[in-house]
Amino acid sequence: MSLEVAIEKNVAGFRLAVEFAADSAPLGLLGPSGSGKTMTLRAIAGLETPDRGRIALHGRVLFDSEQRINVPARERRIGLLFQNYALFPHLSVAENIAFGLRGLPYAERNRRVAEQLAAAHLDGLAERNPANLSGGEQQRVALARALAIEPAALLLDEPFSALDTHLRGALERQLRKTLASYRGATLFVSHNLEEAYRVCEKLVILVNGSVAAQGPKEEIFRHPPSIEVARVTGCKNFSRARRLSDGRVEALDWGCSLRVAQPFATPPAHVAIRAHHVRVHAGQKSTEENSENAFSCWLAAMTETPFRVTLDLRIGAPPASPADFHVQAEVFKQEWETFRDCPQPWMVELGADRLFLLQD
Amino acid sequence: MNWQAIVLSLKLAVCVAGILLAIGMPIAYWVTFSRWRWKFLVEAIVALPLVLPPTVLGYYILVGLGPRHFAGRIWQGWFGHTLPFTFGGLLVASVLYSLPFAVQPISAGYEGVDRRLIEASWTLGASRLATFFRVILPLSAAGAITGIVLSFAHTIGEFGVVLMVGGNIPGVTRTVSIDIYDQVQAANYDAANRTALVLLLFCFLVLTVIYGTNRRALSIWRRG
Repeated sequence: MSLEVAIEKNVAGFRLAVEFAADSAPLGLLGPSGSGKTMTLRAIAGLETPDRGRIALHGRVLFDSEQRINVPARERRIGLLFQNYALFPHLSVAENIAFGLRGLPYAERNRRVAEQLAAAHLDGLAERNPANLSGGEQQRVALARALAIEPAALLLDEPFSALDTHLRGALERQLRKTLASYRGATLFVSHNLEEAYRVCEKLVILVNGSVAAQGPKEEIFRHPPSIEVARVTGCKNFSRARRLSDGRVEALDWGCSLRVAQPFATPPAHVAIRAHHVRVHAGQKSTEENSENAFSCWLAAMTETPFRVTLDLRIGAPPASPADFHVQAEVFKQEWETFRDCPQPWMVELGADRLFLLQD
Repeated sequence: MNWQAIVLSLKLAVCVAGILLAIGMPIAYWVTFSRWRWKFLVEAIVALPLVLPPTVLGYYILVGLGPRHFAGRIWQGWFGHTLPFTFGGLLVASVLYSLPFAVQPISAGYEGVDRRLIEASWTLGASRLATFFRVILPLSAAGAITGIVLSFAHTIGEFGVVLMVGGNIPGVTRTVSIDIYDQVQAANYDAANRTALVLLLFCFLVLTVIYGTNRRALSIWRRG
């Protein structure tokens, strides 16, 4: 069971050129908006025709520019969950789910609709109109409608983006359960990395219309191969880097030299660290000697979320303005309480085993 | 009061509205969804009757459908008579003259259907034809109703084209608007007044009923 995609398309100055494969484990397509995620899904569903390439699903060729094969969308048997769900407003919930079951005998059609209604916990809502459903219910109807045709592949285009935050957790759990019992290939498009990480086993990172990284999710998050991928996976702190010796680099933008744990063959172009891996403390007396990669720092600006604070820190000298900072650190509030009233400079630690070295 | 003319006008308007609904829907579909690069030429031709003086249009139809012309000769070969100065000729002319009044609202209705619903229908296995009848048509019913109403109203009210193509043959091509004109020419103001009033009331009634049902039709799609 697999979906193979290798397509190219040029549209008004934007070039999409992607190549990846998915098996029955959900594959996440992750990337910033405008990176070509939705266009890729539409090409697979047959709503967009690539200029060149090949799309095959479980060995069946859906598109091949060389053999001039282009199976129309209606014959591809691919379930597509639209970002805004695209429920038919003039049909009831049950009629929406039955929409793709026209060719089936009446009894079989009813059986499948009932099955989908039950699986999506929509039993009492069969006769409702989509306009009278909550966002979460609409999403479940759209998913039930796509699954009712027993699709060979399921494509989910940002299935949670239209929902209130407090609804997402429960729906995501339900989606993961549904996907676990689904046998076909699943593609999950998202720009939310945590969501993609929870739902998918493997990820494809799209940047500017091409694949910047693909593979098991842990691998990509632990060793992002490039600065773009590091950025997509949520990394916020980057500095140009120069090799000093084996195991040491100079961080040119941060004005400090760092020990690195990761061995490097080719000289790195950038060094990076995730904001929640940056440690900050009042410092001074205790740790300065025995911890490496620790530097004096000053606070340039701060933003608060309910449980955490993000600190913009300048290394080496007091900042000239709130925008004058080197690294962002994300720390829990309890931790922040321990040094917030201590006199500056504080100490910032960029742990050697937390640093990434990135080639361009 | 000339009941003959009133009945003729209504018959003509009903026929025109029916024919325009039947041919307006496919034309509007093509105009809305085609990606042909010269589409604008067809759009311009469909919209021509909006700007042309009725006499110009009537003149071309009269000449084009007459026995000296290709199209007219074909018609004559099939039906044994020429079109001008017959009810059939009047019908053809009226259909052409009211074409934009049907095509444009129907097309606007199609245009208002969310593109993603059409695509969703395709991915669920529906053909283009099935998608039209199951998604596009029910969601653009208001456009179709507006198209019929406008074609009907426009046909009742037309004068120039009818005069050019139909002439003024009682019971065959003398419609209400021409009858009223005749009465006024003959200084029969009473007769003209009565006919005009009947026409006015009838049209008002029809439009009220249609717009009323139209609103109900719209609310059916948003039923709870």
